[in-house]
Amino acid sequence: MTKSLNIFLLLISLSLHGNDYSQADFDLYPFDTQEKEDLFYSLLNELRCPKCQSSNLAGSNSPISNDLKREVFKLVESGKTAEEVKTYLVQRYGNFIIYNPPIEPQTYVLWFGPFLLFCIAFLGVFLLRRNLSK
Amino acid sequence: MIPEIGHIILITHLVLSFLGGVMPLMAIFTKRDSLVLPIKRLSLFLFTLISLSFLSLVYSFLVDDFSVAYVAQNSNTNLPDYFKLAATWGAHEGSLVLWILAMNAWLISFIFLTPSTDKRFLASVFSISCQVIFAFSLFTLFTSNPFERILPIPPLNGADLNPSLQDIAFTVHPPLLYFGYSGLLIPFAIAVSAMLFDIDTKKWAGYARPWALMSCSFLTLGIALGSWWAYYELGWGGWWFWDPVENAAFVPWLLSVALFHSLITSQNRGVFGKWSLLLSIFAFATSLLGTFLVRSGILTSVHAFALDPERGVFLLGILAFFIIGSLTLYSLKEFKFESNTYELSSKEFGFLLNNLLLVVLAISILFGTLFPLLYEAYTDGKQISVGAPYFEIILFPFALALGLLQGIALYLSWGQSKSFSFLPRVLIESISFFALILLLLFVLFDNLYLSSFATIFLASWIIVGTLQVNNNRNIGYWYFLKKRFAVTFAHVGMAILTLGVGIVTSYSLEKEIILSPKESFEFGDQVVRFESIEDKVGPNFLSKSAIISFENGKNTSEVITEKRTYSPSGQLTTEAGIKAELFKDLYVSMGDNLETEIWSFKVQIKPFIRWIWLGALLIAIGSFFSGVRQIRRT
Amino acid sequence: MKKTLDLIPLIIFLALILVLFTFLSGREDQLESVLVDKSFPEFSLTSLSDESSFKSKKDISELPALVNVWATWCIACRVEHPFLMKLKENSTIKIYGLNYKDDRIKALDLLERDGNPFEFSIYDFEGRLAIDLGVYGAPETFFIDKEGIVRERHVGVVDEKVWQEKFAQYLDD
Repeated sequence: MTKSLNIFLLLISLSLHGNDYSQADFDLYPFDTQEKEDLFYSLLNELRCPKCQSSNLAGSNSPISNDLKREVFKLVESGKTAEEVKTYLVQRYGNFIIYNPPIEPQTYVLWFGPFLLFCIAFLGVFLLRRNLSK
Repeated sequence: MIPEIGHIILITHLVLSFLGGVMPLMAIFTKRDSLVLPIKRLSLFLFTLISLSFLSLVYSFLVDDFSVAYVAQNSNTNLPDYFKLAATWGAHEGSLVLWILAMNAWLISFIFLTPSTDKRFLASVFSISCQVIFAFSLFTLFTSNPFERILPIPPLNGADLNPSLQDIAFTVHPPLLYFGYSGLLIPFAIAVSAMLFDIDTKKWAGYARPWALMSCSFLTLGIALGSWWAYYELGWGGWWFWDPVENAAFVPWLLSVALFHSLITSQNRGVFGKWSLLLSIFAFATSLLGTFLVRSGILTSVHAFALDPERGVFLLGILAFFIIGSLTLYSLKEFKFESNTYELSSKEFGFLLNNLLLVVLAISILFGTLFPLLYEAYTDGKQISVGAPYFEIILFPFALALGLLQGIALYLSWGQSKSFSFLPRVLIESISFFALILLLLFVLFDNLYLSSFATIFLASWIIVGTLQVNNNRNIGYWYFLKKRFAVTFAHVGMAILTLGVGIVTSYSLEKEIILSPKESFEFGDQVVRFESIEDKVGPNFLSKSAIISFENGKNTSEVITEKRTYSPSGQLTTEAGIKAELFKDLYVSMGDNLETEIWSFKVQIKPFIRWIWLGALLIAIGSFFSGVRQIRRT
Repeated sequence: MKKTLDLIPLIIFLALILVLFTFLSGREDQLESVLVDKSFPEFSLTSLSDESSFKSKKDISELPALVNVWATWCIACRVEHPFLMKLKENSTIKIYGLNYKDDRIKALDLLERDGNPFEFSIYDFEGRLAIDLGVYGAPETFFIDKEGIVRERHVGVVDEKVWQEKFAQYLDD
């Protein structure tokens, strides 16, 4: 009983990732913390290769991608946050280089459009129902 | 000689499809019996013609006839035979012939499998379909003719098929996808015919439903194969990129799902008549739109056929003609009033919500895909990218709502659901199932990630909701297999897919490492070792081939990853080494040669990734058999 | 009321067709530079010809000027080269080179053989300055005006047509 309770509590406690971070010697991109490494790889998925037709840095081996990966590595290793890394690259390559478009007046329609459209459509359905069924 | 025959046959097919597109409708409207055509024989003839034309193209590839320009651009003597076959659809011109073939296949299936109780209806559907086929054939012959020759001196050898297409998945992915896209032609033609001839909602929905289901099935398979292929071919371990071309297939898929759900309602209850008409039109429209986007050159993508805007204009013209035509008909038509007597608790309303969510999601994805172009236009040149992070954020609430709905959908009744007493039971059992999965994940991977909880719960909810229903009816599992098998497969498939997505998104591990031969390092629960590397010679490539081993306690598996240089083109590809297990994939792809014998590799562990495609397969099976069953019922 | 509602799908679709049609008529095939109207970035890199001599922004002194990104591995740069030589001769504008991720010796050999249109070339082996400029390949050319502000960037070969259409207008500013 206590054993299963313990397991249950363990599950409930939502243990977070707790591996010791080691073995940096084999890393192509060695970091001193797991958080930095995770940030690095997630950034590589979010940043676009400026030269490729349609690819992120993670999926590209072109020279510019490799250069940018090194750049991102240096920035993350020195402690920059995700926002800072993205700002750094946007200053040089424009918004094109991030796959997550910024939320600014010109992109409001992109970010709020779907939700708004759903609400309008939902309301529309209710209004139409009342009109039609009588 | 054979290419010329193929060419002439294509022209004959063009002329006949024109006749087929015009005469039946004329016969009906002018009431002249002399214009009536034997539909069945004509459809058979058309199908035979296009098949022969297609086969003559295949033949040209197989015999290395480089005097045919298309063969010269896409093949090579060193190309293995099965790739020569696949090269037929390797580029724009040949793929169009495949598209036309697929449309003919659907048409002939419809004509032969639909009982000919209403001859006018059959003739109308046939005619409209022929019009679309004619338009595509015209486009092919005039702007994208695969039978053009290089004369008087044909090249000695071809340019070769793009190396990243030289893969087994390529032999099946495009055909399945094209069959999926083109299948939506039939519901479209049915919808237009229904408007032309005032066909009762329940009736025409019944006719259209199986074809919407089967198109969806093929699209599901086609898209899933594309995802699987991208995963192991592109070498970075991703399985969905929200690439414009992927979205161009996803949008019709979403609409086809909305469509058959709407058709179920229309067929059973006679409601959503106008909506089903619109959806039939728009599902086909997005299918044509997808074709346009991919081939017009307006979207940059890994996939896009490199084409010129002139062909784009022609395709846009085809899209415009048929959709504006059908929508004009819709606008002008006087519709019979239909009574909407269903409560908010009803199945009808459930389907309405389902459609609303799917359609708004589809519109949002389409908008997001086109947004960079719009943005560039109204900011006078500024460029922006809309990719995975955006689409994932948008998708999540819709997927959540759809999944929650899916879990209770089968409990709802037409008109009004009498009780919702099933809810507490489903909730409790979902939570138990959810806890069970978490336990399994903890045992397998030593970790629980909060970020995956929502999707795992959603999957549990759907599975419990779907399988419970059969239990509740107290009829037992034979009932489930006989009567509910299709929907159970499809919905459980969706749940499994969701589970796979949720787990692989949160639990994946990746790292780029540098190793010398015989060196090893710890990764996750594995010890990864760079065993050896050697040079290899393939049929049309040279490669550096590395053997990597994964050791986990008692089990050791080896995979091969390669860097290939293909001979005619000089193009480099990376082949990933993958060990697929039930609960995870072990994935490694070669990087660069840093110093003698020292290479970089990207190593990944992808838990539950196969479940994504397993789920998709179940969805495809479920929807296909549902379609088959519906045909038998008409 | 009902009839107008029925027109909505048609109207929406027409709008979509219109939008798509306008997209077909030619789009930029290069990335816009975000450095336009900004100052040329600071840097400190060796000169191509003398590895002990460092160049920085103030060495790009004869303005207005073109900064041309080039390399021996870049085939299109060879196509562009004669025009740059012509420009050096016939125009008042100075050209500075940014030798991008290249081999110093090969680069110097090339300039020996084919002629040197550059006042000097910056040796950017790691591509650091290139990243600060938002460069993603070669050849690329930047126009720097009298104040040291970047006015225009062209990706690809600069020939007479490109020069006239894109760059010449800034000469008189």
